[in-house]
Amino acid sequence: MTRLHPFTLLALAAALVALAWLLPAPGGGLATVAAALGLAGSRGLRRGLWPALATAAPFWLFLFILHDVPTTVALGLRITTMVASVVWLVAVLAPARLVEAMVAAGWRAGTAYLFAATLSAVPVLKARAQRIVEAQRCRGLSPRGGLGPRVRALRALALPLILSALHEVDERALALESRGLVPGARRTPLAPPPDRGAERAVRWALVALCVAALVWRLA
Amino acid sequence: MTRLSLEHVSFWYPATDTPALADVSLEVAGGEVVALVGAVGAGASTLLLVAADLAPRVVGGRLEGAVDFRGRGNGEGGRGIVLPTPWTQVSGMAFTVWDEVAFGPANLGWPREQITRHVDRALARLDIAALRDREPATLSGGELQRVIIAGILAMDPALVLFDEPTAELDPAGARMLWRLVRSLAAEGKAVIVATSDLDALPDVADRVVWLEQGRAKKIGPPALLAEDALCAAGLGTAVAVVWRAGGLPRPYPLTVDDAVRLWRHR
Repeated sequence: MTRLHPFTLLALAAALVALAWLLPAPGGGLATVAAALGLAGSRGLRRGLWPALATAAPFWLFLFILHDVPTTVALGLRITTMVASVVWLVAVLAPARLVEAMVAAGWRAGTAYLFAATLSAVPVLKARAQRIVEAQRCRGLSPRGGLGPRVRALRALALPLILSALHEVDERALALESRGLVPGARRTPLAPPPDRGAERAVRWALVALCVAALVWRLA
Repeated sequence: MTRLSLEHVSFWYPATDTPALADVSLEVAGGEVVALVGAVGAGASTLLLVAADLAPRVVGGRLEGAVDFRGRGNGEGGRGIVLPTPWTQVSGMAFTVWDEVAFGPANLGWPREQITRHVDRALARLDIAALRDREPATLSGGELQRVIIAGILAMDPALVLFDEPTAELDPAGARMLWRLVRSLAAEGKAVIVATSDLDALPDVADRVVWLEQGRAKKIGPPALLAEDALCAAGLGTAVAVVWRAGGLPRPYPLTVDDAVRLWRHR
């Protein structure tokens, strides 16, 4: 799956989300959520399925508080499809390949970098949070135990995480400028991913499927 | 030929009243290595950002005075800066060290053959050709520092700015870096380096700029690092500082060789 062209992966995730909202509930939502969770699950329980379910769970809770059961099910399935699709996309799509594909397709390097940086933000922040937790542990703060210690640990994590991320944004902007990533830069693609005819056909088929679903729903 | 000229340059960071640089004038020619020394907060890093055209353009703030750079913007024939923290300079868009070094040249839109030639040369110069297929995230701080320097040199800038380039390097790596700085100057590039590695400067720098509270307090040859005022400020070479602390008479020796010579002639 990771060998597919980045645009194909993006198209698949986007089509699942679009179909979840276009197809009638609950059947359409059930079909798309099954597909999305299947894709997320294909990356493994810990890396795909579990993060998708854990991220979607609070939405179900809030929907259940605010709405009746049919609405909760309809919206919950759609939101779970969105979450699972994004989790799968982050797991399979290497930001560097996306940049190469976008640059090869004629996008400006800055725009491509912006897309890719957004995709890589979650793993980067996760790794940074892990380092901060380890540093806090070295200084005697335990994130385990009851609610009190956990809340204290969360506070000790949040502030350095936000401040260091903001500080790094400044430094990264300087570094990218000095390495030629300036507005209007026309980057040379170093290793553009191959874009096979079959994949292009699949992408167009996904677009056609979404348009057909839209026409059917509007008719 | 003068490559960079600063005339009465002052710079204020956003939302500050005290200038980080105050009335600094400096000319740097091609083939010259100028070292910036000073205490933390003296303005060396700010001077590099101004010289790199990153302050105030990217950093924000206010600049007074004139900065004249004779060259192109960034990259080839332009300016390249190596910032002090290598891990914030990684592109995050590279699978291998080779790709990471090629990130800058690719952004310049060079043909692939030119990119390959420059990247391979930069890897060899930094003695990291063996790392070319490694993932950047798996490198040590020192290795990453070499990769970042290679990434800037691969862009072939005419003015190279280094901010504490040896901070992450081991002693052998630092010696390699200083040899590289001299070879860059020998190629006609202008080099400005802010460093705390004062003992290396007598062999590396053509001129030394002593910065204090944003002002260029003194500009002169590396022998400046053996002057009483700099030694008193903790900015002399180790030999000069020890000589002074021992109550031995002036002139203070700059290097071990100078000390041996002076000691024998006492």
